[in-house]
Amino acid sequence: MKYRRAEDSPLFTKLKGEEHMIIAQIIANGILMGFIYALVSVGLTLIWGVMDIINFAHGEFLMISMYTAFWMFSLFAMDPLIALPICTILIFVIGVLTYLGIIRRVINAPGLTALLATFGLSMFLKNLAQFLWTPNFRYINNSMVSGKTIELGSIVIGVSQVVAAVASIILTVAVMLFIDRTRTGKAIQATALNKNTALLMGINTKKIYAITFGLSGACVGAAGALMATFFPIYPASGALYSVLAFVSVAMGGFGNIKGALFGGLIIGLAEALGGYMLGTQFKYAIVFLIYLIVIQVRPKGLFGW
Amino acid sequence: MKSKLVLLLAVVFLTTSLLMGCGAQQQAPTETTEETEAPEEAEEPTTVETVRIGAILPLTGGAAATGVKLRAAMEVAQDIINGEYPELAKVPLAKEVGLPNLGNAKLEIIFADHQGNPEMAKSEAERLIEQGVAGLVGAYQSSCTKPASQAAEQYGVPFVAGSSSSAALTERGLNYFVRVAPNDDIETAMFFDYLIYLNDKYNADIKTVAVAYIDNEFGVHAKEMVEKWVKEKYGALGFELVGVVPYAVDVTNVDTEVQQIKSLNADAVFHASYIADITMFVNKYKEFKVAPKAVLNYCGGFQDTQFVVNLGSDSDYFAGGAAFSAEKLGDMPELAKINEFYKAKTGADLDGPALEEFSSVLVLAEAINIAKSLDGDAIIEVIKNTKFDAPYYATGAIKFDAKGQNEILASYMVQTQNGKYQAVYPEEIATAEPVVPIPDWDKRN
Repeated sequence: MKYRRAEDSPLFTKLKGEEHMIIAQIIANGILMGFIYALVSVGLTLIWGVMDIINFAHGEFLMISMYTAFWMFSLFAMDPLIALPICTILIFVIGVLTYLGIIRRVINAPGLTALLATFGLSMFLKNLAQFLWTPNFRYINNSMVSGKTIELGSIVIGVSQVVAAVASIILTVAVMLFIDRTRTGKAIQATALNKNTALLMGINTKKIYAITFGLSGACVGAAGALMATFFPIYPASGALYSVLAFVSVAMGGFGNIKGALFGGLIIGLAEALGGYMLGTQFKYAIVFLIYLIVIQVRPKGLFGW
Repeated sequence: MKSKLVLLLAVVFLTTSLLMGCGAQQQAPTETTEETEAPEEAEEPTTVETVRIGAILPLTGGAAATGVKLRAAMEVAQDIINGEYPELAKVPLAKEVGLPNLGNAKLEIIFADHQGNPEMAKSEAERLIEQGVAGLVGAYQSSCTKPASQAAEQYGVPFVAGSSSSAALTERGLNYFVRVAPNDDIETAMFFDYLIYLNDKYNADIKTVAVAYIDNEFGVHAKEMVEKWVKEKYGALGFELVGVVPYAVDVTNVDTEVQQIKSLNADAVFHASYIADITMFVNKYKEFKVAPKAVLNYCGGFQDTQFVVNLGSDSDYFAGGAAFSAEKLGDMPELAKINEFYKAKTGADLDGPALEEFSSVLVLAEAINIAKSLDGDAIIEVIKNTKFDAPYYATGAIKFDAKGQNEILASYMVQTQNGKYQAVYPEEIATAEPVVPIPDWDKRN
């Protein structure tokens, strides 16, 4: 069916007046979403880079953190931003326990074994969440940042997303500094480069792996608290983000933290602009198309080493 | 690097499976009585201890929140049928234990989980049929009802859909399929009639319409029905469809979609959305200050009472078709009682889809009782030729037309006002006046 405005639909369009503003708004949205994807990706890329393991339960860690923020809010009226350290520490602990309880036993098995182990953990956590908290959609709609906006001319930006974006940058820089500047970080790098040599150099690689898993959990724990202010919370809520986080990590380069940040930004912008220009039903198709092109041109990802 | 790429491919595969819902274990059927064999086509009035019917619902996956509530509604129907409730005498099968024509046989619903996955809906339907169920109910998402009812058709097993609303379901010429809910065809016409009412009585001046829809069977058909009605009738009455905004089933954000809607600047937006997406939309409407004069929702997420719980006062002034409004309970004692049972199970009031799924169980059970048989042909014959009493609906009855569509409109327009679903149209059943246009976001509170 032809619509009255079909001929001037965004694809063929008039880039005049208010349309410019809409495009600017779309770009702003894309960048903010990109930072949020990056926030989820940072932890994932750490494990991937250091241990060669894909943590399939990453999305579920995110979900547990979001639920933690939700329960802190509804039981103790604690704002998600204040509950952020609790979420971060809790998921750090869950990350370490995941390594000690599951990953440590399968780390030397073929790659798919660890992958399937984390897949099993992911299914377990998701179903446990459904059992404990029902599949109902929860929402925190009156946190200190919910519903508040910043207006720059006619561009409207949600404060909760801005907070998440700023946190994403801080977190990424903090993790990079930790990896580059601290002894533990250097030990993580050494273990990532060559586990056996690191072991010979006296590095306790098991401890390093546990720390890496914990650190990854802490990152996604922080992400969960921040995202709980604007995203519905339900047992499958982490899964949606983790798919895009996987792409962001692969696009940015396996194990590259800066790459995860830029990968997230590319995804955010591609889905926002592509969705607006070509049709919203194609927005994820565009993301995956760009990803396919990137791995053809640079199989190691944009920042891969 | 190759190994990483192999792993990545595995991730993509597993993730897709996860999102499609293939990963989880299928829901185990509720405990079944082992001695009950698959009933063969029985000619004599059957005396069985238990009549089993199958219910296919999204009990895990993205729509699990709704699926679990629908299961509770079906369980209420099962409890009412199997117990004795003289106070519900007007509700079929309520005052006696079980199905009186089959020796007071108890009804047992065997639940199966399709996880929102059409292929799984089909295989679960086949599994239940092989277990010998006398009929099927479900499956909420039209995209799942479609293949499941196709399987039922092949086996000659009646399928009574409660809340699936895609008009296409009753356009397939199936002999064993009926649907209680108004389809999106009927609902679309009701939406336009409501807009005419708003224009005539409240000078709403609504002329342009846009459709935001989830890109699946439910959403696409809703959109097609709007196109059809504008072309066939309402275009001539001054309405214009100015654009459509589809969005992916597993959408992580709706920023771009809301910008599209904003740029279309339509007077009214029709939404075909589930609970997660409509919640995100309302938040973005608020953030980007998008306030069309009216937002009308097809049977889906808006009708879920969690919509109001989650969004608080932001949920106000949205409207949609629904078969249930808690504000009408005072006039409808049977519905009030049923709601009480449901609330005891779920902690929440009924909603439109839950009531429709409740009624699908009652219709199927009553048909089995009247047919005095577990034979699919006998049951469907009764279903198609009986006017079923349904005192829990404002219209009081259910009657299927030749295509299997309930021809007695079970729903009406409701609008959220102060956190309550008020019936606003038709005027004669209204519990409140509609608020139109929707106030601008900065003029609320």
